[in-house]
Amino acid sequence: MSRSNLLVRMLAMLAVVAVVLAACGGPTAPTSTGATTAPVASAAAGVTTAPAAVTEAPTTMTTATAVVAATAGTTTAEAATSGAAVSPQQTLLFSGDLSDQISLDPAVAYEFGGIQVVGQTYETLVSPDPGNPTLKPLLAKKWDTKDSGDMWTVTFNLDEKAKFASGRSVTADDVVYSWSRALDLNKSPAFLFSDISKLKKENIKAVDPQTVEVRLPKTASPTVFLSICSFTLAAVVDKQVVQANAGSDMGSTWLNDHSAGSGPYVLDRWERSTQVTLNANPTYWGTAPALKRVIMRNVTEVSNLQSAIETGDADIVQDLGAEQVKALANNPDAQVVKADSTLLVYIGMNAKSPPLDKPEVREAIRYAINYDEIVNNLLGGNGKLVQEIIPNGLFGHTGENPFKQDVAKAKDMLTKAGVAAGTQIELLIPAGPAPGGIDWSILAAKVQSDLQQIGLKINIKQIQQSELLNTYRAQKGQMVMINWGPDFPDPDGNVTPFTSYAAKSIAWRNAWDAPDIAKLGQDAALEQDNTKRAALYKQLTERVLHEGPYVILYQPTRAFGVRKNVQGFTYDPADTPSISFWRISKQ
Amino acid sequence: MAITNTPVALTAADEPAPVVRRRRIGQSFRQPAVVAGIIVLVVFALAALFAPLLSPSDPLVQQVINGLQPPSASHLMGTDKLGRDIFSRMLYGTRISLLVGVGVVAIAAGLGTLLGLVAGYAGGLADELVMRITDIFFAFPALILAMAIAAALGPNLRNALIAIAAVTWPVYARLIRGQVLSLKEREFVLAARSIGVPRWRIILRHLLPNALAPLLVQSTFDLGAAITAVAGLSFIGFGAQPPTPEWGVMISEGRNYLATQWWLATFPALGILLVVAGFNLLGDGLRDALDPRLRK
Amino acid sequence: MARFLIRRLAGLVLVLAGVSVITFALTQVVPIDPALAALGQNAREDQIQAFRHAYGLDRPPVQQYISYIGRLLHGNFGLSIRTRRPVADDLRDYMPATIELSLAAMGVSLLLGISLGIVAAVQHNGWVDGLARIFALVGGSLPIFFLGLLVLALFYTKLRWLPGPGRLDPYLTPPPRVTGMYTIDSLLARNGPTLRSSLLHLVLPALTLGYFSTAVLLRMTRSAMLEVLQQDYVRTARAKGLRGSVVLLRHALKNSMIPVLTTIGVTFGSLLSGAVLTETIFAWPGLGRYATASAVSLDFPAVMGVTLVSAVVYPVVNLLVDIGYHVLDPRIGVG
Repeated sequence: MSRSNLLVRMLAMLAVVAVVLAACGGPTAPTSTGATTAPVASAAAGVTTAPAAVTEAPTTMTTATAVVAATAGTTTAEAATSGAAVSPQQTLLFSGDLSDQISLDPAVAYEFGGIQVVGQTYETLVSPDPGNPTLKPLLAKKWDTKDSGDMWTVTFNLDEKAKFASGRSVTADDVVYSWSRALDLNKSPAFLFSDISKLKKENIKAVDPQTVEVRLPKTASPTVFLSICSFTLAAVVDKQVVQANAGSDMGSTWLNDHSAGSGPYVLDRWERSTQVTLNANPTYWGTAPALKRVIMRNVTEVSNLQSAIETGDADIVQDLGAEQVKALANNPDAQVVKADSTLLVYIGMNAKSPPLDKPEVREAIRYAINYDEIVNNLLGGNGKLVQEIIPNGLFGHTGENPFKQDVAKAKDMLTKAGVAAGTQIELLIPAGPAPGGIDWSILAAKVQSDLQQIGLKINIKQIQQSELLNTYRAQKGQMVMINWGPDFPDPDGNVTPFTSYAAKSIAWRNAWDAPDIAKLGQDAALEQDNTKRAALYKQLTERVLHEGPYVILYQPTRAFGVRKNVQGFTYDPADTPSISFWRISKQ
Repeated sequence: MAITNTPVALTAADEPAPVVRRRRIGQSFRQPAVVAGIIVLVVFALAALFAPLLSPSDPLVQQVINGLQPPSASHLMGTDKLGRDIFSRMLYGTRISLLVGVGVVAIAAGLGTLLGLVAGYAGGLADELVMRITDIFFAFPALILAMAIAAALGPNLRNALIAIAAVTWPVYARLIRGQVLSLKEREFVLAARSIGVPRWRIILRHLLPNALAPLLVQSTFDLGAAITAVAGLSFIGFGAQPPTPEWGVMISEGRNYLATQWWLATFPALGILLVVAGFNLLGDGLRDALDPRLRK
Repeated sequence: MARFLIRRLAGLVLVLAGVSVITFALTQVVPIDPALAALGQNAREDQIQAFRHAYGLDRPPVQQYISYIGRLLHGNFGLSIRTRRPVADDLRDYMPATIELSLAAMGVSLLLGISLGIVAAVQHNGWVDGLARIFALVGGSLPIFFLGLLVLALFYTKLRWLPGPGRLDPYLTPPPRVTGMYTIDSLLARNGPTLRSSLLHLVLPALTLGYFSTAVLLRMTRSAMLEVLQQDYVRTARAKGLRGSVVLLRHALKNSMIPVLTTIGVTFGSLLSGAVLTETIFAWPGLGRYATASAVSLDFPAVMGVTLVSAVVYPVVNLLVDIGYHVLDPRIGVG
């Protein structure tokens, strides 16, 4: 190659870069006419009008799209053609931190992001009735629990109208297959069946195509089992479709890119760590969803969520921080919708590690913390003052908050317990933001500064959540700040972990063994009478408040930004999924 | 990533420089840019030194009621979410960053110089081994390796410092080796050897002092690069931990307030910008002074 | 040439072997149990044991390493603990985004860095030169993660001139995958809207990522040009009456390309480091963001995968640079 040739090539390369840059810079001109026309919105408008634009287009660029797509493999072709058919007006754009999405298989998904998708594409036999301890029918028309001597027998009668997106009817055989599959796969959520419900494969039976019979040992609570049946783990998959694509992992991998359920939406595609696209199920057996498509985008920075809702880059954004809520207060196009979560943000104190082994020291710490400043100033309304182990929204919540900052009292208790000023305690916290939209580190710095006032020196150690759990589970944390959410919408989802040492969950991690309180929790879980059950829980939570090794800091509230043209948005933490996209419409 | 400007500097100072000439340093240090760099560095060094005297309040003390105040007479750089005084945090942050820079360079230059001397002087298998190891380290994108090291060791400031030093030392090993290779054939070294001067004495008295000039230039650039790199690690959570007033942590804490409370992240970013620019200007000045072939 | 290539490739294999040893050694000092990291709060002891066994975590380190290398040779990077997919699949999914971003950033720095460098050299000590030097100083000193936050806050949040994070407008379907780079695939598919959207989404991250290497290239070009412009043959050419621009392009520019080429090779490596921070800020689904997320969850099979792949890039780019030297000036022998 001659030298001049090379020079020409390099200059040509520069020219290409220049053209690219010019192309990038070009579109800034029209948008500078007014801040209202966001570039993304205009690009989107280009898509809506695509069919019209094709005829007018000076080049063949747009027309070619469909042609190329049609020859490029079936899934992409479907996506591309349906992509052209659905306008932004019929699309819901939802943004939030979905980076925890690992799987879209109902037997595997156990993260908020995954459950939120699975809940739209699959259905369970029963559905929670938010604010009510009873359940609503879904795939099952009716069900009943019988005491059959040595076991409980739960019988479900399926709705004969129910059918999968494939067109097949939902049968008892599919239910048996789905639940056995969940037990066989034994992934993260499977313990809800195997441990909590003590469910065994041989005890799930299809009596006839419409009837499923489940037998549970007397040590399990049928009430708790039924509420687990409303969770995505118990969702029913289309046996024929899954078996046809089983591969080596019972179809788990395949189900990450396809759905095989009876829900109002079907999975169109999952672009890992970017977005999930759902299309309306054209053969849905219930009321057809108002919006033809739902796009769930993974946006992790709250400031970008704020920009997205302000510009209309999103119809709904999830988990705004206190500052974003404030900034949106007077926005003409968007409003803030707050919803309770069933999470609790708490500090666990190791009851065997001095000086925390003394109940008075733990009580002093509870009196040292300024809860009001945390809830009002730091969370800016993104949290509620809750100090008991059963959160607001679950059965058995009492609403008692006996602790208020009292530095003198706390100091006094500490002195009486014989704790020297300057005693050091290590506080483990996870990295990143805590529920409620505030960084764990800021919350910890606040607690550190409060406890300094009573003479305790807190050393904060921030580690990744998985590492923190590892330490915590080994009973090696001294003080650990973390959050907990019940695995199923029943008080037992909190009470057993928080009180039962034997359950090897939270009480165990904090080396707190109070057998009489644990017994109270067991009795409450098995109690079938709601009034008696409520009384038992009241007795229990009051004792844990003062005797337990916990400082419950707050119950986070989730703040959603919602564009004003969006209707029918609700969030219910006790429901699965917590947001029902099929009830949402746009004007 | 600024950390990788080290190899750039390396190519410029790959060969031994002649012995320092005082007059040239004087000339070079009269250039306005170099002077500006020195002034900036002196100001920050004084701020770091006298941080306890200069700061109006404890960098960790909170006044939650006075959170997110804009800069004013009572809070020169405003306050953060917990009502901590950002000016005080900046002063203590300067301390941390300068110490971190010095720490990284001391470890990296120390280890690199040692291995470079061994490789250059001993030659043969030792040389081959050290050079292949540096090849391996150069193959890694610095920040990805540093992140992996910091993650494996556990995220804190000390481990971030170790991680950055671990990806920086090979530059020094190659630099010193190159110096030694060319110096050891020079007349004064050959003469010393012929009259039976012990090996360690040749290294200490003849080789090392003559290799010092490029080492100094490289270290100056790396001070800035190390500060940015450690701040970068802290920013993504692999370095200093809150509530430490480290600049990367402060930028990370302020990242969601940039459009509304700009002062949270902007001041620490300006701190990094100025200090790193100061080191870069000083490095340019030193290089011009010590290596006349690169003077422009 | 062939011998040179063989030698370099042998060196590359050696380097990769070393890289794999280092990354593997790191996995051995990780303070946590990957099994617990993957299985979460509710895992039972038998599940944890099963996981350890499945991932070979219950075997001695040397055995683990040997089987890891064995699998690598079959293109098997292991299973990611975090995403629970084969790491090779993840790498294949995320790599094109990083390559696209890095190439765009390289393009930005070539264009801006070289042209500003030339102008600054020609206008030596003029005001353009002064501005260019300040621009380069800031580029070499400003932390890239702040620059990213700044341009997003300014051009997306405040001014709304450019789209925010991500690679493509959410309403658009990515073009059929050929290279995985949306711009090129859009061109291949002749899809106007996706081409436009993907280009627009590239602007801010590419400028952010490219700023540092722009600064380096600017400085190198400027000083190389200054040196060449002072040399005899350029003066002679000028004296012979050749027009200024001809002198500049035919003689000066070409001869100053050799140090610039070196710089390109070196800064390309720095782009990968910069990509870690840039991708995190711009939610760019590439290797850098994948590496960060994996390191956060101590998913070392994934971290090792990214490290190995990116460790190939630098030696390969350097090889290309060396070949480039030879092409620019055949007197420079390869190797």
